[in-house]
Amino acid sequence: MQFPAAAKPPVGVVFDSGMARIDDVLALAMLHGFDGKDQARIAAVSISSGDLRAAQFCDVVNHFYASATTGPAAMFMHFTPIGLADAKPGAKPAAESAMFAKAAEGAAIKNFNDTADPATLIRNALTAQYDQNAAVVLSGPATDLARLLDMYGAKDWIVRKVRLLCLTETGMQADAAAAAKVLADWPTPAVTVGREIGEALPFPGGSIARDFAYASDHPIAEAYRASQAMPYDAPSWAMAAMLYAVHPGDGYFKVSGSAQRGSLVFDREQKERIIKAYIEMASAKPVPRKPRRPPEDKDKDKKNEKKDEKKPDAAK
Amino acid sequence: MITKKSLPRRTFLRGMGTAVALPFLDAMTPAFAATTRAKPPVRMAFVYVPNGIIMDGWNPDYEGTLGALPRILKPLEPYRQDITLFGNLTHNTGRALLDGAGDHGRCCASYLTGVQPRKTVIDIKAGVSFDQIVANQVGKQTRFPSLELGMEDARQAGDCDSGYSCAYTNNLAWKSETQPLPPVLDPRALFERLFGNGMALTPAARARENLYRRSILDFVTDDTRKLETGLGPTDRRKLDEYLSSIREIERQIERAEKDNAQIDPHMEKPYGIPADFAEHFKLMADMMTVAFQADLTRVITFLVTHEGTSRPYREIDIPDGHHPLTHHRNQPDLIEKVTQINSYHVRQFAAWIAKMRSIPEGDGTLLDNCMIVYGAGLSDGNRHLHEDLPTLIAGRGGSHFKSGRRIVYRKETPMCNLYLAMMDRMGVHVEHFGDSTGRLDTLDLT
Repeated sequence: MQFPAAAKPPVGVVFDSGMARIDDVLALAMLHGFDGKDQARIAAVSISSGDLRAAQFCDVVNHFYASATTGPAAMFMHFTPIGLADAKPGAKPAAESAMFAKAAEGAAIKNFNDTADPATLIRNALTAQYDQNAAVVLSGPATDLARLLDMYGAKDWIVRKVRLLCLTETGMQADAAAAAKVLADWPTPAVTVGREIGEALPFPGGSIARDFAYASDHPIAEAYRASQAMPYDAPSWAMAAMLYAVHPGDGYFKVSGSAQRGSLVFDREQKERIIKAYIEMASAKPVPRKPRRPPEDKDKDKKNEKKDEKKPDAAK
Repeated sequence: MITKKSLPRRTFLRGMGTAVALPFLDAMTPAFAATTRAKPPVRMAFVYVPNGIIMDGWNPDYEGTLGALPRILKPLEPYRQDITLFGNLTHNTGRALLDGAGDHGRCCASYLTGVQPRKTVIDIKAGVSFDQIVANQVGKQTRFPSLELGMEDARQAGDCDSGYSCAYTNNLAWKSETQPLPPVLDPRALFERLFGNGMALTPAARARENLYRRSILDFVTDDTRKLETGLGPTDRRKLDEYLSSIREIERQIERAEKDNAQIDPHMEKPYGIPADFAEHFKLMADMMTVAFQADLTRVITFLVTHEGTSRPYREIDIPDGHHPLTHHRNQPDLIEKVTQINSYHVRQFAAWIAKMRSIPEGDGTLLDNCMIVYGAGLSDGNRHLHEDLPTLIAGRGGSHFKSGRRIVYRKETPMCNLYLAMMDRMGVHVEHFGDSTGRLDTLDLT
């Protein structure tokens, strides 16, 4: 969450999802794609399902996209923790999706304490964003965001930092109370992705063999294949939300409703363009990152060393 | 006034220019309350070390009951039953949060305040530190609401870190959002503050005192004799040990002054500051012990060296500056040197803990009634990380804490959650502090 003060960067995206459908996985891949192309930055990724395997998977994905960064930049690479909701007491353990079967092997996350409380993680992530330069994408139950709204002082951060909440209709009903709270109390404009949108814009399964082949162990492709019997196309609610959150003004979708509460409207003429954007971003290759250590430190060390040379007692 | 009945907690041995507070004695328990023995107060201290820690040498690879400790913490192994080690505590407000470079300035200024300091070298602004919130409430019961100590020059002006004022790197305690409390570095000044009658000695008076090399205990002989006649054998022994420890502190200061005069009569440091790091630490630790023992204060902050310091450690054959070393870029020889510095600091701390636990108080020890936090505002100094901050508490906070454990919380758990839990044990109830999200749980015996 650190970067040198500079010109306003692209939008910082908070992605909170159930990570329960392949659509969520593809949206995560898109977010990494946007990040690599400097069209967005990953502010926080959190999971509302309580599935440790899903958190491990997100961690593996983080490392996959970081793999292009080598040398000093890799040394100073810093991974923001993955948020993972507490499983409710007495609740059935979150299903360990077949999508993430391989995740535990390579993940740095080994147990629950290796993850963060989603509400705290999101609050902290927002504090690091420029004003009105963050977007929140919600796919799945609104439990984490409802908790965020209840957190002391967090609403002020939301108002100050977030320009848009983009949420999917599907999956929200798993926590009806949280959904009602977020829809009523969220203080920024919010746009809902209806069921029909995701169904009208399926991600083409054929892309997996074609566009993800640059890495033999691509975690997104592996999850796609493990999710259900190939070949299949996947509905794209979370992907649509992600695309709109990053590029709201680029004409991919129209919006109906009020300025504060709207719904995405599918424009058939944009279908091809949208699917192309899905594929391009979800299959984007990892990009090397620049080092993040502030250069000022080197100068400061030299100054301090000189200062100590002048003060003989400082050596004592 | 000294009587054979219950001795007031606030009894002083007085003499010319001197007021020596007493440790907690059995005689201070009211006779009619024999079955409900008076409970010693809970005290808290913060010992802050700069530039982060080599975390591989700090974090055990297990949770729960403390067993063998990693290399840096090894000196504390004999006292592991008295220690609670925390994992994953985070200071988000120490991070850049759009303010760019300056992690050393930010991490120190946010450490006890829980807020992001304003990036400036002129109009400084942070927040009231939590030790001062506690001091404002419990400090009314002691001679000093709080004590702020340090061991390295504490410039208050100028740029100490990429646009952050030296006031940020050189202070831990903040009385208001614009007023840091600079630490006292000179053991002599601290000693006079603890045992003087509140009036500063004039240079002439100090010279006279030095000439005759009189101990403050000489001035309180009459009061001491009167008090001793009313005490039982246990209390008498306790008092004797306590006064001996004060005398020993005096001797150490005198020795440092004498040595310094011989080493370099023109040195900038006050003469009372020992040239040797370990000796200086011990003196400050001894005075913190006495201050807690005599209930002179219940709140102490101790900035061992200031954040971002480039102090070399020739005492342990490390002539390189501390801060440059911490940017080791994973070079094993540099990591080794930083590890040695980290271990050296912990060794001094462990010696203090040994002393605190050797002093009986109430039904336990002085340490039992304390919460002494040892930690840093950065974990990995190479990468300037503000999460999983190296943090431990020595003591049981008045027999509240179930110590002897390592507790790992979830990532991003605010350090301020620990502060809220500590405030509770100090009898100060605050709903929110800094960026807290709740109270740290699972600390207590129950």
